[in-house]
Amino acid sequence: MVETTALNNVNLEVGKGEFVAVMGPSGCGKSTLLNILGLLDSSDSGEYYFDGIEISGFNEKQRTNLRKGNIGFIFQGFNLIDDLNIYENVELPLLALGEPKSQRRQKVDEILEKMRIGHRRSHFPKQLSGGQQQRVAIARALITRPKVILADEPTGNLDSANGEQVMQLLEELNTTGTTIIMVTHSIGHAERAHRILNLFDGQLLLERSDKVFEPVL
Amino acid sequence: MLFRRIFKEKLLYLIIFANLIIGYATFIVISQFISGQFMWDNHNTNYDRIYRLQLFMDQKENKIKHTWSVTAALSRKDLIDLPEIEKIALIHDVGDNNKNGVFLSVDKKNQILSRFGYYADQSVFDIFTFKFIEGDIKQALTEPYSIVLSKELADKLFPGGNAIGKQVYGENKVVFNVTGVFEDLPLRTTWRPVYLLPMLSYAAITGQKDYENNYWGYSFHTYVLLKPNANPAAIDNKIHDALKDFRKEHYPYLRPMSKLNVNPFFDPSMYIAIGLLSFLSVLILVLSSINFINLQTASATNRYREIGILKTLGFNKRRLWFQFMFESMSITIAASLTGILVAQMALPSLNSMIGWGTFPGILENPKLIFIILAVTLITGFLSGIHPAYIISSYSPVAALKQKLIPEKSNGINLKKILVTIQFSISVFMLIVAFIIFRQTNFMLTKDMGFNNQTVLFSNIVTNKNGSFEPLKQQLLEHREIKDACVSDYIPFILPGGDDLNWEGGKPDEKVFVRYSNISYDFVPTYELKMISGRNFSKEFPADRNNCLINETAAKVFGWKDPIGKRIKASGKNYDVIGVIKDYTVFSVSNPNEPHLYKLLQDSIVSNAVYSINFVPGKEKEAMNIVKEEFQKFFPDDAFEFSDIKFLTQNESAVKAYQSFQKITSLIAILTIIISSIGIFGLILFMTQRKMKEIGVRKVLGFSYSSLYITLSSWFIQLIFISLLLAWPAAFYVYKVLPGANKYGIQIWEFLIASLIILAVAFATISYQIVKALKVRPVEILKDE
Repeated sequence: MVETTALNNVNLEVGKGEFVAVMGPSGCGKSTLLNILGLLDSSDSGEYYFDGIEISGFNEKQRTNLRKGNIGFIFQGFNLIDDLNIYENVELPLLALGEPKSQRRQKVDEILEKMRIGHRRSHFPKQLSGGQQQRVAIARALITRPKVILADEPTGNLDSANGEQVMQLLEELNTTGTTIIMVTHSIGHAERAHRILNLFDGQLLLERSDKVFEPVL
Repeated sequence: MLFRRIFKEKLLYLIIFANLIIGYATFIVISQFISGQFMWDNHNTNYDRIYRLQLFMDQKENKIKHTWSVTAALSRKDLIDLPEIEKIALIHDVGDNNKNGVFLSVDKKNQILSRFGYYADQSVFDIFTFKFIEGDIKQALTEPYSIVLSKELADKLFPGGNAIGKQVYGENKVVFNVTGVFEDLPLRTTWRPVYLLPMLSYAAITGQKDYENNYWGYSFHTYVLLKPNANPAAIDNKIHDALKDFRKEHYPYLRPMSKLNVNPFFDPSMYIAIGLLSFLSVLILVLSSINFINLQTASATNRYREIGILKTLGFNKRRLWFQFMFESMSITIAASLTGILVAQMALPSLNSMIGWGTFPGILENPKLIFIILAVTLITGFLSGIHPAYIISSYSPVAALKQKLIPEKSNGINLKKILVTIQFSISVFMLIVAFIIFRQTNFMLTKDMGFNNQTVLFSNIVTNKNGSFEPLKQQLLEHREIKDACVSDYIPFILPGGDDLNWEGGKPDEKVFVRYSNISYDFVPTYELKMISGRNFSKEFPADRNNCLINETAAKVFGWKDPIGKRIKASGKNYDVIGVIKDYTVFSVSNPNEPHLYKLLQDSIVSNAVYSINFVPGKEKEAMNIVKEEFQKFFPDDAFEFSDIKFLTQNESAVKAYQSFQKITSLIAILTIIISSIGIFGLILFMTQRKMKEIGVRKVLGFSYSSLYITLSSWFIQLIFISLLLAWPAAFYVYKVLPGANKYGIQIWEFLIASLIILAVAFATISYQIVKALKVRPVEILKDE
């Protein structure tokens, strides 16, 4: 097998409360970057400081522990579990954290209302529209009040109206202090971030920023 | 969530559950069958303290033999004073239970042929557990001419109930007073009387006045109840030489009740059979567990995305492992409980199919429930480990992208090993089932050496005397009747015998020889073959002093030319005029014993068997003719003709063989079903996995046949490796199979068993591949 290098020499610092958009053509390493930032994957070399802690040497268990509660994921394909209803899907991260049932119920109810999908709580993902599904996915990502949200083309599978709704939600979140790193193909959506990163063949090409933040990543 | 998935993937879970339920149900049924074999007689409160008196006979050239037919004197003289013994019961058949039984009636008219009546001491009620419905158990057999009935017989004699104090006639000759009615004993009872007569009337009824001092007559049975903590070995030592003044090489000993069904005579056959059966039942469980593992692992591929999401959300590996194990265990426990249910529902029909009172209900043996639950947890755990490990080890990134974990295409992996084991077990079990089936069939259909197909016979007890000849001539008037004879025993039944000297033997050397008295036509009626000399004939009046012997007797006596040799029996000398070819006596598994035949001539005696050989196919007509003719000839005596075919097939050893045969056939069928399920599931998921490959190949223009070969080749390799493992293992089983008479094993049994499994594999492969090929390639490729 031929070894391919997905990311090379990327040096990136993301500040607390920052909204970063990552752009670039297919195969440029956007997803790999997101996977490493999201602790789903580890880099072969280099250092990674999360909230001031060096974690590149962490094993899978340690990474899992750090991930839960701290990082929320939003995917292009929503990645909801078809066999679970909306309520149960959103509840999952709290289950992973081992929170007691009454707290889980309260938190899930709250976030479902906030996302305006409370009335569909006992439906299954396949019964919902794409926009609704993405709102469920966002609710699931937010339920633990994570420090960072990683969004991998959150609007990619949605029509423009639904996509706009999702962008508004993300912006709202960001204004309440959540750090957001979003991969997107849409220049329009990217421009709503504080900073745009352009990746090409694993290299960071261009950064455009209009605000300075205290680094969290 | 598990329920939703089950509901969604109905086919998959149908396969998984069917597989596990059949596996568990089979295991449970066989466990119950086996546990039943060890549960004989355990309804007795004193089970642990009951022993049967048996004899070990060290016989010349005749394999070492044991018997539970003993002399009365042993219990009346030798056991009676032993301090270790609390109770002794002496027992004797009423009539001969192996032959026909005795006619009982209330009104001398409606005769009921009753088998399994015994003379017995009152102490049987202290030793064995009887439940009396009527009468006083404390003195039921203390008065002469009393009779104690089982409920079964009491219901026949006194349909209205209230039998106590009423009278019962035995053969219209003796009157008994009913003193008790007891609940029918369980079917799994070694000594299972249907009615009892007091031993104290034995002498008066049979005329055997001095039986208590008789060390020679081996027709009694004796059970003893030991005192608590008594040592049976100590008793064995004390009675070991009790017969030395009478029969030098016969040694009495006690056999515990727990051994009476499975191993009464120190013969490991039953253990081997039970061991083999347990082994097969464990294999079936292994087979269904491997199926379960394969199906779970295969279906895990459908859950990549779910696992990827859960991992991303922070569920760690251990947590997912536990979740998956929990699912596995839930499935196996549900399947096992359903298996228990299915097994219990199947029991009534299995009991009637296999017969013989063999299956105790599951509740009769609580230990079994624990064993089944333990086995369930173990199999559930073991079959969960591998899939749980696989599934919890998915990398979340790969899983989210739905990339399949690359399989090592060459080299050995666990899946290949499991598939090989699965095939090996299937083929092995099928061959073994074949072997057992053929072996039992061989025993059952073996030429017994006498006509066991077209003979009717009846025992008749009569006061009449004179010649049988007029009746015989009358019978032969009918075209349907070929021949008729009178004798004291029929070939299938073991008569009594004695230790004899023979010409040319050392004066102090004796051998136990059984003897029967037969009329002139006994040999032709039963179609016995003479290997030398001649049959008795009316042309030789001196035949009254002559005898026939069987082949084994000639062998045991060491006679090269037996004709004209002399034997002394019952104080009289007999010259041998003919040798009868050996025939199977009593049980097909019994070795042959020396036999002597004396001439009964044609006179009616008080107690004899009348046998009629009829034209094949004319059974009903023959039955009517004998009824009519015998009614005319014996107007005052009760009789009931039986078909010898029925008798030979109802003998207990034959029944045991039949039940083994049936249960192995059942195992064979279930093996095929479980293997099919396994192979089906495996191929289903293998082709699902290869859908993309199929799509690409189709786009590139591969032909169907080349796709077929590509998809099935790895499978076929594994099947051939399995055959290499299964064949020698099955042959080994044939080698250790018990039994004096083994059938010749043949290669086609191995071939057929293997072909069946191959056929199942090919049928499913073909079905799946054709199904996969029908899908349009675009759809498959789009799916990624």
